[in-house]
Amino acid sequence: MSVLDALQETLAGEHAALYTYGVLGARTSQAATPDLYDALTAGYRRHRARRDRLRVLVEEAGGVPVAAAAAYELDGPLLRAAQVEAAAVTIEESSTEALLALVAQSVGPVREWALTEATWSATWQLELGGEARTWPGAPELG
Amino acid sequence: MPGRPLSRRTTLGSALAAPLVLAACDIDPPPSDPTSSATPEPPEDAELVATVVAALVRARGVLEEALSAAPDLAPVLAPVADAHAAHLDVLVGAVPDSEVPTAPRPSLPPRPAAVLANVQRSEQRLLRTARTGCLDARSGDLARVLASVAASTSQHAAALTGSAG
Repeated sequence: MSVLDALQETLAGEHAALYTYGVLGARTSQAATPDLYDALTAGYRRHRARRDRLRVLVEEAGGVPVAAAAAYELDGPLLRAAQVEAAAVTIEESSTEALLALVAQSVGPVREWALTEATWSATWQLELGGEARTWPGAPELG
Repeated sequence: MPGRPLSRRTTLGSALAAPLVLAACDIDPPPSDPTSSATPEPPEDAELVATVVAALVRARGVLEEALSAAPDLAPVLAPVADAHAAHLDVLVGAVPDSEVPTAPRPSLPPRPAAVLANVQRSEQRLLRTARTGCLDARSGDLARVLASVAASTSQHAAALTGSAG
């Protein structure tokens, strides 16, 4: 896998993350669960900025940024707050894994950016009801 | 999502050792004296790993002292200690003939809140060391492992902050 491949795979994952965060936000009541709504909003904004940055990085690496799909399949009904939280944690777990793959393939500023974003995604899982792990993004080491 | 699976210490050890072998093949001329007993250079990331291992040992010492000073914090601190032990296990095993260093036990104040604050500072220091190691690593596989260590440390630091209220 080249750094361009890793950038494209991370970007593809961010497209899916943004779509899912949008669905989760739409199914969350700002009045009934304000903390969850705020966490989802912050997550959406972070992933939107990450997607935009990845598009630039792909172009700088000589590639054409992979496009988003029209829709993505979601697991489960996602109607209860606990289900929404669990889905959001899954988004961040997947992002952490993809970003760690990018860390392995990159050097310099790209690796530093990927490390910062991976650390954010791992830590944000706690805001969404997740738990601290021993090997976030690299569970096979456990 | 695409991961880059590693099988713990064996693969990581290979990742550390491989650059030395490649460098020897590509760059170095044959030794003029085949009987030379010069000590071989360590793998290029070995010093970096040793720095992170030392930081983990120091952080472990802070945790042990914290548990001694404030046993009631055990439910909060035990997951952090478990993560440090797992990280040490993988990193120490990655460098041939390496030994776990020792660290002086810090002196902590007896108040739980102050103990927790000390642990939080210690974890932030460890996070910075793991992050620096990740950025400086020549091996991509090692960088990925250290990125996971940094992410885990950040998670546990956030959990400590949450438990401090």
